[in-house]
Amino acid sequence: MSVKTLDVIRKRLEERPDELRRARENGLKVVGWVGYNVPEEIIHALGFIPVRIAIGGDDRLVEIGARYASSKTCVFIREIVGAFAENQDPYIQQTDILAFDATCLQNYRAAEVIEYFFKKDVVVLAVPRNFHLDEAKEYFAHEANEFTRLLEERAGAPLDSARLAESVALYNDIRKTLKSIYTFQASKDNVISWEEVYDLIQAGDLLDKREYLSLLTQTLDELKERQHHPVIASDDGDCRIFLSGSLIPRGDRKLIGIIRSVGGRIVGDDLWSGILPHLDLDIKEISPAGVALGYLNRTPHAALPYLDLESDRRLKKLQERLSEFKAQGVIYHTLRYCDPFTFKAKETKNVLAKSGIPLLEIHTEYAGSDYEAMKTRVEAFVEMIKIKSEIAEEQGVLVDA
Amino acid sequence: MSINGNYFAGVDVGSLAAKSVILKDGEIFATGLVPSGVNSVESGLNALNLALESAGLKQEDLTYIVGTGYGRVSAPYANKAVTEITCHAKGANYLHPTVRTIIDMGGQDCKAIRIDQDGAVVDFAMNDKCAAGTGRFLEVMAGVFKVELKDLGAIALSATDTVPMSSTCTVFAESETISLVARGEKPENILNGIHHSIANRIAGLFSRVGIESDVFFSGGVAKNSGMKSAIEQALKVTIVKPEIDPQLIGALGAAVIARNFSKKEGLWAA
Repeated sequence: MSVKTLDVIRKRLEERPDELRRARENGLKVVGWVGYNVPEEIIHALGFIPVRIAIGGDDRLVEIGARYASSKTCVFIREIVGAFAENQDPYIQQTDILAFDATCLQNYRAAEVIEYFFKKDVVVLAVPRNFHLDEAKEYFAHEANEFTRLLEERAGAPLDSARLAESVALYNDIRKTLKSIYTFQASKDNVISWEEVYDLIQAGDLLDKREYLSLLTQTLDELKERQHHPVIASDDGDCRIFLSGSLIPRGDRKLIGIIRSVGGRIVGDDLWSGILPHLDLDIKEISPAGVALGYLNRTPHAALPYLDLESDRRLKKLQERLSEFKAQGVIYHTLRYCDPFTFKAKETKNVLAKSGIPLLEIHTEYAGSDYEAMKTRVEAFVEMIKIKSEIAEEQGVLVDA
Repeated sequence: MSINGNYFAGVDVGSLAAKSVILKDGEIFATGLVPSGVNSVESGLNALNLALESAGLKQEDLTYIVGTGYGRVSAPYANKAVTEITCHAKGANYLHPTVRTIIDMGGQDCKAIRIDQDGAVVDFAMNDKCAAGTGRFLEVMAGVFKVELKDLGAIALSATDTVPMSSTCTVFAESETISLVARGEKPENILNGIHHSIANRIAGLFSRVGIESDVFFSGGVAKNSGMKSAIEQALKVTIVKPEIDPQLIGALGAAVIARNFSKKEGLWAA
């Protein structure tokens, strides 16, 4: 599986920190953002360079972060705090302004800690808890305007409607192209893997957006040339795994590597560090409030409380995606002290069990000490699915006979 | 003795012991059990050789070998590696086809496994990475009371009371135990409390996967009568009696799977 454009993207990522440094020397400002509901189009339209700060997998940074944030904070947030404390990450080094949202309160806490200890210029976008109520939407529209005002102050210019429309169009094209590429990874005789697409999605967190769209388009063209009609089928002999739960940022590939090493094939995800934020974003009005409401109306983040399982859009979306990608099992990844996803593991398992989809929860952190125990669980889960498929196949043969 | 390719072996290398089972014509023919050393390849081979010696066989007489346990990743003598979760399921099903739930307590982990009528895993849960509820935990407690590990269960069963143990962390439980002894609590009552504390923790694992009769208890800790009794109380079940050493169930399952693989790969026809 070698898609040539991916090599170009890897090379461009290596060059990106230096590129950002030069851009800043020329007077541009970099906004590092962290969260799920940060309306990136607004940052982009104001002339800033948006860069998503999402790193993981380094237990040493988690320990450093714990000197500033509580040791009961999730490991992802502790690593972010640790990375700011150490200031060695090439993207963190290049940020002028930070934009956080308060979707998850631990995210909000990180903003406070980073502002207090490391004297960073931080802007926080408040997010309503009861996101589904009309009052909440009104509140969020107001907060989005305030968020924009704070960024306008830093940009030294007001937000221009025409530029916002351009940014929205650009981001819509990126999302559309990503969705098309995503279908290829899940198909029979795929020429691009889920892992490659996942890296590709995360490359977009860092690269220049126009160049990123061009590279995505090239990738899609290459895929179409090599595989004319991607067909997603369950009878390809693979153990088709869907990845759900807490985010898996760049730098953290422990679970993904284990799944691959024991013969599982990841065919989809609904991670907020993956494809999920790019789905169902419908911006109806070109204004800060319009963009923000588009974000809020997507599949909600698990940190936002919702108790009615029957109408839970997050669960509904998960079920739709499982069916679309013909997944045979869900590996539900929860990070230590990532309460929103950990608390929802049991109910998600119960809901999926009704449609015969098994779920394995993997609760982990960035230390390597649980590697073998994780591997045993994942391997047993893959064995379980394979045996189930073999039995179903044998019974199918008997029925056919 | 006819060497006609009908010998299948399972080798289970755990953190505290390495076990092996050889099947002949679908029946248990020989077994081996040795303490695990630092070198897991050596431990597995020692267990296998012990069974081979007692059966008067050589390794080349075996048609198929399946390795399992944490040592499965380095078992060059095995044709295939399968996880202990799948193997315990097959092993328990081989002995008791009516078993639907397995509690496996080994040296370094504890598993709750649900299986179907064919011995296929339906669901499972494992303890987190700490040693609470494992053989290692009980080993530490035996050390505190300076008694043999094998006697721990019987001592707990002789208790007249249950002293609650609040710590599940091995290190904290050790200091809590020392405090309880200093307070004048009787060792058997403290040990009873320790066994019930572990059993309650196991009940938590089963809240994730559910329980269905019959229930089977495998792994080295299954030899502990106090643990068996505490689990029966915590889960409100009766555990079926194993016909063989419960520590051998993983290796037995591996041998059964070896037989199945061999058949599937055309190496052996029943």
